[in-house]
Amino acid sequence: MYEDEGWADDYLIYEEVYTMIFYYSIKQMFRSPLKSILFFLLVGVSAFLLALGGSLSKMNAEMVREFEDIFTTIGTVEQKDESVVTIAQWEADKKGYVYRRHGIPGKWISNAVLDFEGAGYMLEARQRPYFGARIEEKVRGGDSRYLLVAELTAEASDVLEHSVPMRVNKVLGGNLNVGDTVYICDHYGDGDGSYEPRRVEKGKTYIMELNETSPVHGPWVEHIAPEEYVFEYAATNSVASYQYTMDGDRVFDAMAETEDWNTFDEVTEGFYETERGMRWLELAKSQAYDFHTVPVEPVDGTELLLPFYRNEAQITEGRDITEEEYEEGKKVCLIPVELARILRKGVGDSLTLPLYYAAYAPTARFDGTFLTSILNAGGKAYPVFCEQDYEIAGIYENTSVMGGGEHDLAKHEVIVPWNSIPEHAWEDNIACFEPMSEGNTSFRIPNGTIDDFMEAWEKQGVEGLDIKFYDKGYSQLQAGIENRKLMAGIFLISGCMLAVMILCFFSNLFITGQQERIAVERLLGRTKKQCALSILTGLFVLAFAGTAAGGMAGWMATGSAVEATESTTEFDTTFSNTVIDSGDGEETENTAARQNNGAEMAALTGCMLMLTEVLISFGFMRQVLRKEPLQILGGLEE
Amino acid sequence: MERIEVKEVSYSYQNKYQRIEAVKEVSCTFESGKMYAITGESGSGKSTFLSLLAGLDCAESGAIRINGKDLSEMDRDACRRNQISVVYQAFHLFPLLTALENVMYPLELQGISRREAKKQAAECLEEVGLEEKILGQYPKMMSGGEQQRVTIARAMAAKGKILLADEPTGNLDSENEAHIVEILKRMAHEMDYLVIVVTHNPEIARQADVCMKMKDGRMII
Repeated sequence: MYEDEGWADDYLIYEEVYTMIFYYSIKQMFRSPLKSILFFLLVGVSAFLLALGGSLSKMNAEMVREFEDIFTTIGTVEQKDESVVTIAQWEADKKGYVYRRHGIPGKWISNAVLDFEGAGYMLEARQRPYFGARIEEKVRGGDSRYLLVAELTAEASDVLEHSVPMRVNKVLGGNLNVGDTVYICDHYGDGDGSYEPRRVEKGKTYIMELNETSPVHGPWVEHIAPEEYVFEYAATNSVASYQYTMDGDRVFDAMAETEDWNTFDEVTEGFYETERGMRWLELAKSQAYDFHTVPVEPVDGTELLLPFYRNEAQITEGRDITEEEYEEGKKVCLIPVELARILRKGVGDSLTLPLYYAAYAPTARFDGTFLTSILNAGGKAYPVFCEQDYEIAGIYENTSVMGGGEHDLAKHEVIVPWNSIPEHAWEDNIACFEPMSEGNTSFRIPNGTIDDFMEAWEKQGVEGLDIKFYDKGYSQLQAGIENRKLMAGIFLISGCMLAVMILCFFSNLFITGQQERIAVERLLGRTKKQCALSILTGLFVLAFAGTAAGGMAGWMATGSAVEATESTTEFDTTFSNTVIDSGDGEETENTAARQNNGAEMAALTGCMLMLTEVLISFGFMRQVLRKEPLQILGGLEE
Repeated sequence: MERIEVKEVSYSYQNKYQRIEAVKEVSCTFESGKMYAITGESGSGKSTFLSLLAGLDCAESGAIRINGKDLSEMDRDACRRNQISVVYQAFHLFPLLTALENVMYPLELQGISRREAKKQAAECLEEVGLEEKILGQYPKMMSGGEQQRVTIARAMAAKGKILLADEPTGNLDSENEAHIVEILKRMAHEMDYLVIVVTHNPEIARQADVCMKMKDGRMII
């Protein structure tokens, strides 16, 4: 750095000379104790503030990272009901109307409105369908009570305003015995008050789809005691199609336009060659599939499903689907324990999922109801639109099954990455379409951005959607984190400013203020390099001592801060989308790790401080050494 | 035997306003065993000439030879360590070192052990007539005469036998002035030093073996 004049002079290489330089440098430094102590203390304070500020900053950053791992902010979207209507429904056994109030959603709102500037999604808001996957195993019970498709011959001519006996002539779907007598009733009427039970004629054969409804009643069953618990059946579905498009519109089907939802047909010669007859055959086939169907829910992240978010569902074997797998649409899935038992499958096994219909409704609905659109608009059972093999990544247990509400998981729900299913592959297989609800529309945003999201959302001016957020209390913690960030920033900035000012002031004092000494040393034949060494050695020793002491104090203060933090901060860690495994030792390890980080940061800020000191002093030294000794002495004499 | 030959040396420098020709074609010779006095008015160039002799600056033209070697080709730091000592009017001692340590400093710089340096430094201080009690005092505790004697003792302690003094008695009373001049003469005559004193004091000039005068950068006598 400096001109190396005379450096090669033989005797200068003697170690004694350097020892002497060091000796006199330190000696002279300590002979101005006030300045030296002040310098030592102020450098120490700077180092303390830097170490503390740096450590707290790092600690905060780590804590925020930990929080990011622990906390997740998700939102759910539900289309609000626009109005409430009271529906009067005829109940045949009571011979009167019962009144029920229903919320009626307004015009269907597309989830496209949720794609707006400023949303800042980590996982976009999308209304999820669930898919029906047809598997070999029978996974649903109740086939002797529901979705029975049979030919029945009336044993009496009567209006179906009470239980009318009919003999089972042929069973096309479900579990009924041919020859048995069952009781049929148009038990429930439409809500518009136009209840008009149909009439059957003795000896005529009808095909209908039946669901068990209520205990038998009326003149034909007087011989049946109530305690026998004989139930009547009601015709439930017709062969009309209620298929939907991706936009939520109904696909036109002439039959659906003209007939009641529970129309049944008389079976006559050649009936099954007619379109209606063929539809009945398809219907029977389709209903049989229903007992072999598991719901498959495509998602972009497991945390978007509220039962997982709330830790009501946990992965008990294997692992969660990773972010990358979700993003890349890997063929991996999560299945519930019960389904694993039925299928006799475990983690790592392959599961084939032939998807044949899509329903835009919460999966929770799957267990309690059956689809109303059993046939597509062509009158056929929905064909498989996508069949893929999935590897079972994890098996989960859902403790909230049944009764968890609209957001719950279905009993046999299979969870797959949404991207694993070809886009819009299901567009011709949509059997149900309902507005967005908490159970099927959710999204993820970065922690602490709820207000920003809502501000941007409100600018859209979209009415009719109810958005709820779940953040596990991150919002409350955020204020604390911000305070800590501010505190760390203040320490760090004040430390930096103080350090620079102190170093500049004292370097000026110890270097520029000792120009005479430098000039005399040069007159005595010292090289510029030796002069620099002579002046700076003492300065650096003091700066190093101050930095070490301040850094050490900063480290210890950080340790105390960590302990205080650990004892005062509690946060909810109940959610984890991986297997939960936390031990008591974890906290201790974290504390120790943070303290080690404090030491690292103290060392780092100390090094930075020393480096700054070296740079500043060399700057001052360079200025002084540029002048010739005479120039310096002349200047001083003036 | 020390000898300085100066041949047609010129030097100029630029101040804030103009270029000053401080030394103009000066030629002269100095030998050990004598005390030389260079006199002249302020701004005549005598101090600048002295700094050229001390190797604190380089002549623009001409040559300065010390014992036959051209100063411009020598390591001037080494030259000041080994051959030339400079004494100033303002003493320029290390304020945070005692009198003894100030004198020990050039000795230790030569690689002499601390114990030996202490011994030699004490001898040098005795040589310039300083009492033992002064040895442990810092410069600010000493009188001007004592400080200048410490400066001279420090010059003695250095290896060199050439002593250049720029107004060494400028800050001293007449009694101390006489003591210092006496020491300088003794160094020249008894210790075989080559002593060059720049002064505007006619009394010192009178006591010198050789007296020279500078005017407007030129050596006129």
